[in-house]
Amino acid sequence: MRPALSVNNIVKYFHEPETIQVLKEISFAVQPGEFLALVGKSGSGKSTLLYLLSTMDTDYEGTIDINGTRLTGLKQNELARFRNEHIGFVFQFHYLLPEFSVLDNVMLPALKLGKLSPEQIRTKALELLYKLDIKGHENKKASRISGGQQQRVAIARALINDPAIIMGDEPTGNLDSKNTKVVFDIFRQLARESGQTIVAVTHDDEFAANCDRVIEMVDGKILAG
Amino acid sequence: MSVNNKIAWVHLTSKIRQLIVAVLSVTFGISMYIFMNSFTGGVNDAQAELVFNTMAHIRVYNDLPKEAQRLLPVPEGRDTVQFVSNPKRIRYTEGIKNAGPIRELLESIPDVVAVTEQLNENVFFHNGVSKVSGSLSGIDVESENQMFNTAQYMTEGDLYELERRNDGVVLGTGLADKISAQMGDVISLSTADGILKAYKVVGLIETGASSVDKSRAIISIQAARQLLSKNRSYATDVLANLRNYNDARSQAQRIAVSIPYKTEAWQEGNSQLESANTLRDILAVTVSLTILIVAGFGIYNIMNMTVNEKMREIAILKAMGFDGKDIVQIFLVQSVVIGFMGGVVGLFLGFLISVGVDHIPFKIASLNTLPIAYNPIDYVMALAFGLLTTFVAGYLPARKASQIDPVEILRG
Repeated sequence: MRPALSVNNIVKYFHEPETIQVLKEISFAVQPGEFLALVGKSGSGKSTLLYLLSTMDTDYEGTIDINGTRLTGLKQNELARFRNEHIGFVFQFHYLLPEFSVLDNVMLPALKLGKLSPEQIRTKALELLYKLDIKGHENKKASRISGGQQQRVAIARALINDPAIIMGDEPTGNLDSKNTKVVFDIFRQLARESGQTIVAVTHDDEFAANCDRVIEMVDGKILAG
Repeated sequence: MSVNNKIAWVHLTSKIRQLIVAVLSVTFGISMYIFMNSFTGGVNDAQAELVFNTMAHIRVYNDLPKEAQRLLPVPEGRDTVQFVSNPKRIRYTEGIKNAGPIRELLESIPDVVAVTEQLNENVFFHNGVSKVSGSLSGIDVESENQMFNTAQYMTEGDLYELERRNDGVVLGTGLADKISAQMGDVISLSTADGILKAYKVVGLIETGASSVDKSRAIISIQAARQLLSKNRSYATDVLANLRNYNDARSQAQRIAVSIPYKTEAWQEGNSQLESANTLRDILAVTVSLTILIVAGFGIYNIMNMTVNEKMREIAILKAMGFDGKDIVQIFLVQSVVIGFMGGVVGLFLGFLISVGVDHIPFKIASLNTLPIAYNPIDYVMALAFGLLTTFVAGYLPARKASQIDPVEILRG
């Protein structure tokens, strides 16, 4: 089976304040539907790796392929289009647009993609919100709902374009244990039922322990996985 | 509505107070631009009106030749030196013998709105013991009036009386004072050739230009030809007015080719007037553009603040797949909307201020209120400059927003 994500010989340097090598010849592949946790101490390079995978950071050596598309060497605008269609992001902070309604926040990436009519997008966004148990808040401003709800809205936003791969940067880092479990279950279900690949950086040992696979990083190298 | 415009719209409307301040700064700039230019335009027009009471836009007359006529052919070869001592520029003919064809030529030009002939001569006015020199204008009453509205400046009597009687004269009020002549008096004129003739004062005129009023008398052109023993079609000046006095120079140049006499635009003899007009225009444009640029800085500041406030949102938009162009569009649309709203309101406000100033009493010379010109071009330019300023002022922060590196922001 074609891997959902494959990484080959990634090398990355930070040049400020002095040049250090943060990632040392990293290579691995992730299968479709796999739920992967990236763990490691802070400074181990796991977040740096995730942002390379996210295509937002293009300053590296080696190659990255997602769903058979070679992303290394593409232009910023092409990468933006690719992210829009194929990658969903969930961050530690929800980063919702506070002046928009909950529904608008979820619809934005799909409106940008423009494959469906606004009416269809609306229906789909509502379905997602109901599935994530956010009912009755659709027309509230994003800044007016609770932290757990905001994170679930952010997940709905990440899912609206049916991305092949969902990336999480400590997606539960800011949530209490109850909400952490909710978010984890959602990811679990997405990987199992929709076959979506999930790559999440986490500090949470329990979260990691329940994933399909854990990659542990130490000093810019993969220790186990 | 595209998704970019939708985001721009939400940004705009979520901070109404900031929006109003930004719009007002543009409104103020544009209304000031309109007012300043309308006012200078008005002052220029008022000035021109005063001057063009007695002066035409284009004047054709018999001038001295530019250089003395060559009496001997230029010698060929380098070994001959020619001396002609004391060559003089001589006018061999006086005035325009046959003014009819020139008049017809001027009338055939579409931009020319009025043409008249004059016969001007310096004479002496005698009344009893007083003897004063001055100028005598022989005029074609009908076309003269059409050109200068001469009849409107009559303080006593009727200009058309000149057409009816050959021995009628209209005196400038200052001139009448100098020779203490009144309506109905009989005065006499003497020409340079020593001819003396009596005329009856049938009217008094006050144009507002006191140097003219103190020295000029008017008779009909037929009477003037008679007095100076000239032929039926003789004139010293053929005058033409154009639709727009600013075109005089280019028109005069074009006409000059087909007329054997000197063709002069009003600017040539009145550079002080033209320079004053130009300087006022420059001043108005400078001041109003400065105001617009200050408004531009205001918008730049507001948009910059907005961009700084929304760093995280911009980063997340980029993560979601909005590219640099989308971000520029989102923020540029906001400033252009501000510019357009401010611009349209500014056009109305500028018009209202102009109308208001137009009603402020100002009674000097022939003015009753402060002069204002309503030129559509001022409004078009104001809107154009306003949009340009807001575009530039909005583009810089928008470009900055598009260059934000999302990784830096999202990693915290």
